This record gives sequence, structure tokens and C-alpha cells, in this order.
Amino acid sequence: MSHLVLMTTYAALVAVFFSLLWRRGRQQQAKLFLQIFLGMMIGAILLGWLMYPFPTGPAAPIP
Amino acid sequence: MTEAAKSSFPLRAVLLAVMAWLLPASGHLLLGKRFRALGFAIVLLIAFGLGMRLEGNLYRPVAGQPLSYLATLGAMGVGAPYFVARYGAGYQGKPEAQGFEYGTIFLLSAGLMNLLLVLDVWDIARGRKEDE
Repeated sequence: MSHLVLMTTYAALVAVFFSLLWRRGRQQQAKLFLQIFLGMMIGAILLGWLMYPFPTGPAAPIP
Repeated sequence: MTEAAKSSFPLRAVLLAVMAWLLPASGHLLLGKRFRALGFAIVLLIAFGLGMRLEGNLYRPVAGQPLSYLATLGAMGVGAPYFVARYGAGYQGKPEAQGFEYGTIFLLSAGLMNLLLVLDVWDIARGRKEDE
């Protein structure tokens, strides 16, 4: 699976979870879902874009 | 323990919280929140299943690494699935797997999300949270 698919899946799961946990009523839940989901997706893409100038460095050590 | 303290012991809330921890989403189901329980169960099942499919790290305590203890507590938050996977199926994760980092995050998130569900069940059972 690609990074984008996994990131999207993760954002969707977290968004569903918190919208069910924190909101009552379908409309409120849908609104919070979109806020969290889009916030995570756009935030991650923006952060990745901002990190472009930085060198990648060596691979992380295996724990 | 005094009689008054005994009568105020929140046995029902404790039992619900323990159930909620052991079997993800069962606390909400027992509280009659069927739709939400179904949603939580699906989310946690996908997160935990995908984490294992990606061969992520199911944390365990490592001597000399204090953060591993915290991470283990977080991962154990998912309840029975943690113990079934670790001790029943002998699951360990595979650091060289392509999805190892993502898998680890999915597994840890499933545990942390279930811990939040336990707190939610506790609050609802104790009448501390307004609910429909």
C-alpha cells in the first residue's frame, strides 16, 4: 500500500472515531469528520511540502 | 470501608469500564449505544487489523527504554486483542517490513483510542456526561 493510501486511511479512521466520540447528531458528526480529515490531510501535505528543502539524512535505525 | 463508602462504590461503572477495555466498543454496546458501538468497533478492528497486516510493532517493555513502557501501556489499551495477538498468535511485528512504521502507528492508535472509549464509558456510566 502506498503512503498516501495509508495516510488517508489513518486520517479517515481518526476522523470517524472522534466525530462519533465528541459529537451527537449526523450533521455535527459529518462537520467534525470533515474538519479533522481535511485538517490532517492538508496539514500532512503542507508539512511534507515545507520539508522539501531539508536533506533526507540516513535511514532511521531499526528498533 | 464504611457502609456509606460501600454503597457509593461505582461497581456498575467499573464493570462497564473493564468490559470496554477488554472487548473494544463493548462498553458502549452494554450502555445501549448500538450505532456508536458499531462505529467504534469497525474503526478499532480496521486499525488493529491493518497494523498487524503491515507487520507493525506491538510494543512490549524493553529494559533500559522507559518510553517502551509507556508505549506498551498504550498498545495494551486495545484489551484482549493485544494479548491474543502477542501471546496467542505469537505476533511480534517485523522491523524490516515495508509498512512497519505505519503498522506500529495503527496498532498504537487502536490502543489509545480504546483507552479514550474506556474513559467515555466511565463518564456516561457515572452520569458525568450528557448523553442522548
